[in-house]
Amino acid sequence: MSIYRIAEINVKIEPIYEQLRSRCKKYLSDDCGAAPQMKIAVTEDRIQKLSVRAPALSAEECEYMLAGADFYGGLMHFNGMLLHASAVALDGRAYLFSAPCGTGKSTHTGLWQKYFGADKAKIINDDKPAIRISGKDALVYGTPFSGKLDLSENAAFKLGAICFLHRSEKNEIRELTEKESIYALLNQSLRPADAKRMALLLNTIEAVLGLSKIYSMGCDISLDAVKLSHETMMKGLTPQ
Amino acid sequence: MRIKEGYKLCKVRESSIVVAVGDAVMDFNGIVTLNATGELIWGMIENGAGDDEIIAEIMRKYKVDESVARADFAEFADKLKGAGFVE
Repeated sequence: MSIYRIAEINVKIEPIYEQLRSRCKKYLSDDCGAAPQMKIAVTEDRIQKLSVRAPALSAEECEYMLAGADFYGGLMHFNGMLLHASAVALDGRAYLFSAPCGTGKSTHTGLWQKYFGADKAKIINDDKPAIRISGKDALVYGTPFSGKLDLSENAAFKLGAICFLHRSEKNEIRELTEKESIYALLNQSLRPADAKRMALLLNTIEAVLGLSKIYSMGCDISLDAVKLSHETMMKGLTPQ
Repeated sequence: MRIKEGYKLCKVRESSIVVAVGDAVMDFNGIVTLNATGELIWGMIENGAGDDEIIAEIMRKYKVDESVARADFAEFADKLKGAGFVE
C-alpha cells in the first residue's frame, strides 16, 4: 500500500501508470504504516471513460488528471481548496498568481525567480497549489498535481497574498472588494456540485479572506511588473 | 414565485452570493452576488412570502414609497426570471 503525504494529509494512491507514480514520488510518506485519511482510486474503467471524452489525452494523462480531481475534491473536507494559480515562495511566504489558462501565471512567477534568484524564489506549485486553513493560518502546499510541467515542491508556506492576473500594457494593481474576491476565488477553484462541499468550500474561502489580501493586477512581461506585485503584496501582509 | 431547486443563497463574510448545486449546476455554472435588497427579497421568496408582502417589507425597511418598492421588486424579479432561478 502506498501512502503519500500531500498537504499534510495521508493519501492512499495506487498509481497504475508512470506519470502519476513519478510525480507523486517526492510525496511518499516516511511512515508507510500511516492510516490513510483520503483514498484515491483511479480505476482503468474511469480512465477509459475519460479517454473517450478526451481522446487527445493518453491513458497515463487521464489517470493523472483524475487523481488530481479526486485529491482536490477530497481536500474540501480538510479545510482546504485548490486555487488555479502559480505559487511562488519568498522569505517564508507564498504568493499566488491566479488566472485563466494562457494568461501568463507561470511567466510572472518565472520573472520573480529571475528577479530574486531561483534559490530565493521557489515555485511551490506551478498550476494547482493547495490552500489549507490551519488554526489562525492559511498554508499553501505543493502537490504532485502541478500542470504540464512537474514544477512542485513538497513544502508548506504561510499564505502571503493572492493576485488575479490579466494582461495589460500598463502595470497596475488594486485590492479586490470582498464580493470580487469571492467571485474570483470560486471561478479559479474546483467548484463542487453538492451542497455539502460547496458549504465547506465557502467556509475555506471565508477564512482565506480573513487571512490574506486579494489583488487584481494588469501586467506585461517585465521585471517592473514583478517589482509592483511584490512591493504591493509585501505592504499588505498581515503581521506574523 | 418560487426559487428553483438547487439555487442557494450563501453568506460569505458580509457578502451574499447565489450558487448552484446538484442538478442546477448543469443549467447554471456561475455565481451571482446580491446587494442588501436582493438578499432581503431572495430570503423572503425562499420563506414563501408573496409579492405584496415583500413589497411592504421593502417599503418598511428602506422607507420608500410603494411605487419605488414595486419598481425595485419588479426589477429584481425580472433578473431572477431572466437567470432562470425562479419558477
